[in-house]
Amino acid sequence: MPAERRFGMDHPHYDWSPLNTRGILRWPDNARVALCVIVNLEHPEWDPPADSFTTPFSGGLGARGFPDYARLSHREYGHRVGIFRVLDTLRKHGIPATVAMDAMTAENYPYLVRHCQEAGAEIIGHGVSLSQMISSNMSEDAEREYISHSVAALTRATGSAPAGWLGPEYGESNRTPQLLSEAGLRYVCDWVNDEQPYPLHSPHGEMFTLPVMWELDDVSALWERRVVVGRYQQLLEESFETLYEDGQQNGRVMALNLHPWLIGQPFRIGYLDRALGLMMRRGGVWAATGSEIVDWYRDNPPTA
Amino acid sequence: MPLPPNRVDYSPIIDRPVIKWPNDARVALWIAPNVEHYEYEPEFDGHRDPWPRMPYPDVQQYAYRDYGNRVGFWRMADVLDKHDIRCCVSLNVAVLEHFPEIGEAMVQRNWDFMSHGIYNTRYLNHYTEEQEREFYRDTIDTLKRHTGKQLKGMLGPAISGTERTPDLMAEAGLIYHTDWMHDDQPVPIRVNSGKLVSVPYSIELNDAPLFRQHYEGDYFAEICKAQFDQLYQEGAHSGRVMCIALHPYLIGQPHRARYLDDVLGYIMSHDGVWQTTADDIAEYYIANYYDEAMAHAAKLNG
Repeated sequence: MPAERRFGMDHPHYDWSPLNTRGILRWPDNARVALCVIVNLEHPEWDPPADSFTTPFSGGLGARGFPDYARLSHREYGHRVGIFRVLDTLRKHGIPATVAMDAMTAENYPYLVRHCQEAGAEIIGHGVSLSQMISSNMSEDAEREYISHSVAALTRATGSAPAGWLGPEYGESNRTPQLLSEAGLRYVCDWVNDEQPYPLHSPHGEMFTLPVMWELDDVSALWERRVVVGRYQQLLEESFETLYEDGQQNGRVMALNLHPWLIGQPFRIGYLDRALGLMMRRGGVWAATGSEIVDWYRDNPPTA
Repeated sequence: MPLPPNRVDYSPIIDRPVIKWPNDARVALWIAPNVEHYEYEPEFDGHRDPWPRMPYPDVQQYAYRDYGNRVGFWRMADVLDKHDIRCCVSLNVAVLEHFPEIGEAMVQRNWDFMSHGIYNTRYLNHYTEEQEREFYRDTIDTLKRHTGKQLKGMLGPAISGTERTPDLMAEAGLIYHTDWMHDDQPVPIRVNSGKLVSVPYSIELNDAPLFRQHYEGDYFAEICKAQFDQLYQEGAHSGRVMCIALHPYLIGQPHRARYLDDVLGYIMSHDGVWQTTADDIAEYYIANYYDEAMAHAAKLNG
């Protein structure tokens, strides 16, 4: 539906709330910045179902003729090699990983599930596969079934139901937040519009966003925009410095969304390592999982 | 023979009546933040797709822009305030209805406004003449109601228009159009009635095309300073216009705002800068140079 010209948002999911009019958000130990690193583990299908939808560039190289060995294996590099570099880098800096894992990874890579769990990662829902985005092409029933399949696969693989969600390629229909909440999820990372968590409207219990910085997503910066990797390190550092300064007045969240097939390449990982090192050497940075951040926000909402 | 669209007489910048800005300024500097709202589920006009990535909504792209209103606008405004900049906003007027705090913040700063349509997801290209007339009535009324200001100019919504646009703008009482990237000075645009001029906007010193590519804030600062240096030199002879076009969702990102600070600090440290708005540039030009420019171009083009 086109927007109606009246106060507030042109959809029912959250309230209009300019950051400068909000109360003060205080993180544990008065940290200025809550740092969350989300690591994507997603599988591009060899032969996706005919009715599935994905964006032409998902997976990096862009869609080409079938079969596409190069595109699939470029992604698979993340599962085989990149993920271990990324998790090692996070461990080195004492940052707990939040792993967004799709159902196909959960069902077919038990080694990776175990490895992520042993690394202390929180595992959150990430759809069924990279080749099957949520979009308005889906019926409500199909979307409900899709979410439930993803949640069930993670629950079976990890032993517990996921609390968070990131749609493959940030895909949503106009009912996704409600359906996620109905499926028992408590937070979603698809909304890249803020520097603090905020509540979503849901008839099914409390639901929050954990907003990712889209410009700092490695796919956005390194792959789509082709920012050179040294400049990417500087972007991360500049962004952090500003959030750190602004976070002195009102707590900020810096949620990075990273893809091991991309940032986990040998020539790139060092730049991430140096940027995270700069952040974690600073006092007043709370490195936490998505759930820890959202739970803290729920229990300690901003105050006037 | 003039070439289509035959709206502007050819007039080489080296052979024109000299422009003197107020107080002998060399450069008229105007800053144009695009304060916009992109609809969650816009109507597709069958031609230009607002969210080409996927079936609507495209939450990623919607939220990326929504960031500008929730967060980026305020960080950008802090930087502009630091340098006492009075902006001329390129405004989707529905922002005044959806997000009143933004309207209040702009009115409080006494910024000027040009129309940038109603939403950035509704384009003019396929409007009928009557729809387009109604569009001007709407944007003029909406701006007046919420800010008390009289609308004087337009950057087409998402830079869209029709062949009739300049005539209908002038008929509605507007005096300037900023869709023309053809000059470093204002120039008259031929219309059926009234007077309309172009005020140079920029598709180059503009964070939107720039940051869709691999360029970053340091490059933005570099080209803004280089542009200023050149215009400042040329403006000693005949006044120039420099526009910097901004989008809060881009320049208000935490890794970028500092570069705007850097640019404005550099430019505003110079004497001979008329920091102004497109409203004031258009009025000044029409009052002092419009007739002379028309006569000169007529003579030049025989």
